Amino acid sequence: MTSTRSLWTQIALLVVIITVCVFPFYWMVTTSLKTQIVALESPPVWLFEPTLDNYREALFEDGVLQTLLNSLVIAVSTTVLALILGVPAAFALARFEFRGKKDLWFWFITNRMVSPIVLALPFFLIARNLGLLDKHITLILIYLTFNLPIVIWIVTDQFRGIPYDLDEAARLEGASQFTIMRRICLPLAMPGVAVSAIFSFIFSWNELMFGLILTRTEAKTAPAMAVSFMEGYNLPYGKIMATSTLIVIPVLIFALIASKQLVRGLTMGAVK
Amino acid sequence: MRGQVSRKTVFAFIGPAVIGLAVVGIAPLLYAVWTSLHFYNLTKLKRVEFIGLENYMTVLTDAVFWQAMGRTFFLLGTALPLQLALGLMIALVLHQPGLTLIKTLCRLSLVLPMATTYAVVGLLGQVMFNQKFGVVNQLLGGADINWIGDPENAFAMIIFWDVWQWTPFVALVLLAGLTMVPGEVEEAARLETKSKWTVLRYVQLPFLLPGLVAVLILRTADTLKLFDMVFTLTRGGPGSSTEFISLMIQRVGFRGFDQGLASAQAIILLIITIILAQIYIRVFYKEV
Amino acid sequence: MKTLRNLLGATAVSSMMATGAIADGHGWSLAEAAKPYAGTTVDVVFLLRPGYEAIEAMLPVFEEATGIKINIIKHPYENALGEQVRDFVAGGDLDIALIDLVWMGNFAENEWVLPLADVQAKFPDIVDPTLDLDDFFPLVLNAFGGWNDTIYGLPVDNYSGLMFYNRCMLEEAGFDGPPSTWQELKDVYGPALTKDGKYAFALQSKRNETQSADSFARVLWPFGGSFLDENFRSNLLSEESQAGLQFRQDLMQYMPDGIVAYDHAETVNAFSQGDVAMITEWSAFYSSVVSADTSKVADCVEIAPEPMGPAGRKPALGGFSMAVASQADEAEQAAAYLFIQWATSAENAREYLERGGVPARQSVYQQDGLEAFKFVPALVESWQDGVPEFRPRFAEWPEITEIVQEWGTKMMLGEVTTVEGAEEIGTRMEAVLDAAGYYSGDKPLAQ
Repeated sequence: MTSTRSLWTQIALLVVIITVCVFPFYWMVTTSLKTQIVALESPPVWLFEPTLDNYREALFEDGVLQTLLNSLVIAVSTTVLALILGVPAAFALARFEFRGKKDLWFWFITNRMVSPIVLALPFFLIARNLGLLDKHITLILIYLTFNLPIVIWIVTDQFRGIPYDLDEAARLEGASQFTIMRRICLPLAMPGVAVSAIFSFIFSWNELMFGLILTRTEAKTAPAMAVSFMEGYNLPYGKIMATSTLIVIPVLIFALIASKQLVRGLTMGAVK
Repeated sequence: MRGQVSRKTVFAFIGPAVIGLAVVGIAPLLYAVWTSLHFYNLTKLKRVEFIGLENYMTVLTDAVFWQAMGRTFFLLGTALPLQLALGLMIALVLHQPGLTLIKTLCRLSLVLPMATTYAVVGLLGQVMFNQKFGVVNQLLGGADINWIGDPENAFAMIIFWDVWQWTPFVALVLLAGLTMVPGEVEEAARLETKSKWTVLRYVQLPFLLPGLVAVLILRTADTLKLFDMVFTLTRGGPGSSTEFISLMIQRVGFRGFDQGLASAQAIILLIITIILAQIYIRVFYKEV
Repeated sequence: MKTLRNLLGATAVSSMMATGAIADGHGWSLAEAAKPYAGTTVDVVFLLRPGYEAIEAMLPVFEEATGIKINIIKHPYENALGEQVRDFVAGGDLDIALIDLVWMGNFAENEWVLPLADVQAKFPDIVDPTLDLDDFFPLVLNAFGGWNDTIYGLPVDNYSGLMFYNRCMLEEAGFDGPPSTWQELKDVYGPALTKDGKYAFALQSKRNETQSADSFARVLWPFGGSFLDENFRSNLLSEESQAGLQFRQDLMQYMPDGIVAYDHAETVNAFSQGDVAMITEWSAFYSSVVSADTSKVADCVEIAPEPMGPAGRKPALGGFSMAVASQADEAEQAAAYLFIQWATSAENAREYLERGGVPARQSVYQQDGLEAFKFVPALVESWQDGVPEFRPRFAEWPEITEIVQEWGTKMMLGEVTTVEGAEEIGTRMEAVLDAAGYYSGDKPLAQ
């Protein structure tokens, strides 16, 4: 039905979209393989002799490896925590009736809209007083402010989509609400749970502001590390791009593998 | 009977989440409110004193604050329509049958910008848009445009990256909406009229609406929070041409150390965000 | 194991030093003095700049001799103040304060640092008899480490503004030397060197401390202007100040586009890539512009003092001192003092210089074999009569610098005239000073 010309237009458009999406990454990786002198060539060069020096320096001399591990530990832990707290809460919001349910839901969601700036200094002072500065646990906890809402938003919708009859059947057999959630609904809600976990991980991994303020050396996150290369003395572009690549690649791979779920998750809270 | 459970059960399920969020969300917020009511400057802690709503008055009458707000909304007003238009176009193209291989590749590519660390986007922008060794100028045919150092160009650059990063999101959300249109209805409509526009307006739009609302809410909230990418790209400069509201608050609070004023600004920002969210949800969201 | 090794190391070094000490007849040795504090960890913030790298390279000797561990936390300059303020406010771990000269008033008034004399009185045994405070350039010692007639810190990372110029580019344009006055730079060198995509000059002006220190202040003082008059009122509307600010506006035509977004890195880069013929930058960047790894023009680089204005030569003054933090506990205070004393000692100055640092010891610059360090003559001259209050160092500076940065950049972007901008800065500056109590007599007029 589609004419050849419109077919070619479509192909052209798709290629353009793909190129626009991917090109910045291509540039990031190629720059990371350049020495400083090559990187500063004007106009920029596309063919050159690559070097792995930037990566070696960043990872082993500047401590980027440690920060990547920190980010990993923090992102995974906070995701797990958000799931442990959020899934039951989502179940309650989807299944139970109680006063103030609507407002509670609204409060959960608005937390995601709070600008981190509001919380940054108070959290700093509180953490300092409790001796929790530069510790992983601090970030793990504070990331809940945006992870928990995500989990609740997505998983609540997911639970709502499950037919109530299954619940009732289990109820008749004397199952507790907890068992219902665990045995019946959770397995069916896994796609949504998985999606929210992915989102939570990605947002935690990418987070910058709290990482900058609440960590120093022990628990420094990778994005905070990347930014600290930008001292006004001598901008090591190659190294900055290398660090950026290291930060971005894991998440991109993750996102690509889970792309189907990601897309589904995007629409989860949206298309309802 | 449905949904009626004991108080205890409700607490058991929802309690931990509420407590968790209250600890990390409410406690600092209360502290921020407290500092906003005081003269609280980190380098002048000897002079902490209660000044009531004076900080708020300063903020509300400060031209710089409203300029920053204005700039932020201007960004929203220019970037969002672009994202919607482009996103819709992409969604429509992807919605058409055929060319599955390229389409899958396209869908995969679309995921990439969204998952990228915002800070990295900013750093990448510095490298790509540099006047001398940036690839953008090279691709524009050897142009010599000063992106980062020119107030207007810098703003355009921010719009570019915002669109680059979030159009995929819009596209995928709208695409999901399109896939929910029952096949027969769509086919029937296409048989009735040749106008793509009519099909879009009357058949597809209702299914796109929920997605559009979600996009609206999320993009508004995120633009008001926008920090990482701009911070690493321009630090708010040149001058104050890309100083959006979050950057301004950060500057006042963390470079000027006036926490009282910064808290007042942040709280006003929070109130504005909540009001907007309430409006969107009340007007558009049918159910909760 | 480690203590054994430390002990052996300490013994080895102390025996070396003992020999030296016997030869000197002083009887004081670093290892001896540090003995009670071995095993202490001292936390300090360092910047990502050559001077600090030099100290880091020299560190093992100190740590071996004393058994004191120095824990270095690196931050870009931009974050250094915020990090330290937050640390001191919240009672953190830092044992040494790294003080930019403009933070001095702040840190001293908040009592975050201890006067040097107090520390020396508390721990008389750790004071090196060869410390010789007089050996420091007086201007530098007072400006970087002193406040209100008290010395708190010793200058460690020291800068003067210098003129870096590209001899090759200048020769090509027919000049056999750099300009000696700002006027000459603008009227003669400017037009001659700005062509074919190259520029005569670049003045780093980014909207952060760079704008205040490097750009704004730099054109005030040589023209006879200043931030404040004797009554601490704004002096920016004076004829001299306006002359300077207007000069900067006129000079912009010979600078690259978007100069308002140029920080040190961009400026030094532009010079190193051969795009700009002259820059007035901090001495610290010397090693970067003469190294073939980072500079295309390494062979063409020459140094001169900054140009003179109608009011004389008033080069930019900047630098950092290290002082003992009051929040440190006893052992940490002593250990911190030992480190500061060692890092800024006359003995170590030569090695520090050779590794890329810039010491503030007069004695080191009188030694032989310094020809490789082209910046030395200009530097020494600059430190003879620079202006200590090049930027006011009082506690209100963080607020005021924000104001200067905002309106200074607005002036350069042409969004306001120099008069309007000066008025805005003046009003706001006076409001800050008023609230701080300078006008009502609550605070002495110290800067």
